[in-house]
Amino acid sequence: MTEPYAVSVPKGYRVGVWEVREPIATGAFGSVYAARRAGEGELPRTAALKFLPTGTGTPRQLAHLRDLVEREVELHRRLTRPRLVRMYETLVVDDPQRPDLDGATVLVLEKAEGSLSARLAASPRPGDGPALLTHICEGLAQLHRAGWVHGDLKPANVLLMQDGSARLADFNMAAELEGTHAYTPAFSTPDYTPPELLWSEIGERGRRIRPSADVWAFGVLAHLVLTDSFPLPGGTPSARRDAAVAYARGTDELRLSPELPDAWREIVRCALARTHADRIGTEALLRRVEAAAGSGCSPRIPRARRPRVVLGTVAATVAVAALGYGVSTWTGHGGGTDHSALASYGASELRTDKGVPVVYRKLIVDSAHICPRPDVTPALIAAMLKAGSNFNPDLSDPGKQEFGIARWTPRVLRWWMRDDGIPAPATPTPPLSPSVSIKSMGRYLCFIDPHLKAGLPGDKRVLVAAAYQTSYGKVNDTGGVPPEYSDYSARVAHWLKEYTPPGKK
Amino acid sequence: MYSIIVVPPPTPEDEHRPAQIRLAPGERLTFGRAPGNDLPIPHDGVSRGAGELTAQGAFWILSNLSAQATYVVENPEGAGEHIKVGPGRLDAPVPFEFSRIVLPAAGDLLTIEVWAPRHDYLREGAGPDGDTTAPAFSVDRTKRYFAVLAALCEPRLRGDPHAPLPTVDQVVDRLRPVWPAASRTSVQWNIDYLAVKLRLKPGPDTADPGPRLNGKKESLVSLALRFDLVCEDDLVVLAGPSARAAR
Repeated sequence: MTEPYAVSVPKGYRVGVWEVREPIATGAFGSVYAARRAGEGELPRTAALKFLPTGTGTPRQLAHLRDLVEREVELHRRLTRPRLVRMYETLVVDDPQRPDLDGATVLVLEKAEGSLSARLAASPRPGDGPALLTHICEGLAQLHRAGWVHGDLKPANVLLMQDGSARLADFNMAAELEGTHAYTPAFSTPDYTPPELLWSEIGERGRRIRPSADVWAFGVLAHLVLTDSFPLPGGTPSARRDAAVAYARGTDELRLSPELPDAWREIVRCALARTHADRIGTEALLRRVEAAAGSGCSPRIPRARRPRVVLGTVAATVAVAALGYGVSTWTGHGGGTDHSALASYGASELRTDKGVPVVYRKLIVDSAHICPRPDVTPALIAAMLKAGSNFNPDLSDPGKQEFGIARWTPRVLRWWMRDDGIPAPATPTPPLSPSVSIKSMGRYLCFIDPHLKAGLPGDKRVLVAAAYQTSYGKVNDTGGVPPEYSDYSARVAHWLKEYTPPGKK
Repeated sequence: MYSIIVVPPPTPEDEHRPAQIRLAPGERLTFGRAPGNDLPIPHDGVSRGAGELTAQGAFWILSNLSAQATYVVENPEGAGEHIKVGPGRLDAPVPFEFSRIVLPAAGDLLTIEVWAPRHDYLREGAGPDGDTTAPAFSVDRTKRYFAVLAALCEPRLRGDPHAPLPTVDQVVDRLRPVWPAASRTSVQWNIDYLAVKLRLKPGPDTADPGPRLNGKKESLVSLALRFDLVCEDDLVVLAGPSARAAR
């Protein structure tokens, strides 16, 4: 690697119990060194130290770097998963003698054997490619299940461990989902960026990405690992970027390498679907990847062939996706599902014997599932609808400017009514349909939940409901439910208890 | 996913805000006197099928379909830099980020502006291989829009992170030494262009203002600072020519 090191640390330098050894890699933001434990302790004997120069630079650069570091540390603190590289501790260098290092943040990470990019450079089309891809896909699924998006999946960010397994690393672009999408800094690696993000709009919080961005990157990576070529034609990243744009616009077709094994061809094709909505979900992707890796490509991961199961699940996923995105046309009368199935839809999370109108069950349950956060539950949405409008879809309260089953104020609803997270072009006019109202409620609650301060007194779900009525800022400022909303909150708390099945939170 | 913006010659009806036509890579736009063109130019001195421009990745190509006229493509910020596209020349590549196609039309000169805001520029610290994690936009530090952006960011870069933003008039005054012809209109034009180039979310004028959009200048500055598009070192573009020569 010819680039200068972002942070240069001499061999033998001591940080905490660690003694720095040889450099491993450098990136735009920091540098990674091998280290061995010099002192006593329970930590492993070797580790990788990632130095991020948070102590030097100008105040502006600092704020920016700190944001990247915080993302990474936050993710590591909250997620330990088998397919994600582990972080043992974080340290801060205190060494006024070396101004270039003083104040640097050091992440002490699990030591890997090398990265996938180094491995591919040394031996293209590795024999254990399918096994590695399974590990990578498992890592993505673990991240996505926990409500995070990686945001920068590429071979350099996949580490290979001593036992031959792969783990995901480099989480400084990772972001926690807020509702259906997350915000990451507007950095990217063009070859692994899905076309919808290439020239996407960028807000002040960064750009909005969804888990489907990682799925696209996985498709590119799988093609690269299995065929030693990129799925889109072109000799340079910008030529491939243009090809991706042409493909996404429908003016060009995807022409995958003939070397791609048949089992993987469909996987790559599903991962590289033109739009985010058409892209395969992570769980379905994982099942297909496991099946493909198990079907003879890799003897290392013995797995039963189960093509029929896989096909069934994929079909079911497609059906659910179709219902999910058909919000505007869904009338609340079942969409082909019979009445008795609807009556018990989501029964494990929302009681069936407490009078929640059957026509809204599916909407309520699905809207809560838009949000991965544990506080946003079907019972909460149902309790809020009961307390707010008594499930009256025709509610009209022009005095307060609140309309419909979820008592939306139209000019607020505008910001939440679209499933792609973009504000609607115009303020909707009442009547507001239950399908739009309830779906939007799921998204807005999911936005409110992480913005409430930790440690406020009372049930978090009731606080979320109160914030829905006023704002999360008001609830934070009051330090709890504002007095004028105590009646409403008491009603929500009552119905929340009624609607939650026994044994659930 | 558009990469090229065409601003047609102003017509009397839409003098205030000429329409913009956005082209995605691969899309074509024909122009000429005949009404069947994508961009009709109702002027007797223009050929019926005068030409065609095509977005080609981040740049664009121009075909001169006229029988006699030579089209000139000027770089308005290039101190006279221009290319000539002779009659019958097909698919001539145009390298400028801003261009003005000048069509000679029976004594008049009609202009079509073309912007290519997605041009890539090298950033310091970027590796030669395409695999580095790079900012999702790139700016040309020699362009006027960059000077405008730097002037907007200056108060916050010089220290106070919450300093009020300079007004357009203050920006004009600040830029006068390096850009004597700066005016309110040209600075405002550059601010509007930056909003397009940096892909700010659509402004609040498209619907009633919601809770999350601030003014355009405010959004530009916070974006530029957040992603390090302008650093302290870049403020040198605000210094006069003599100071820059010493750099």
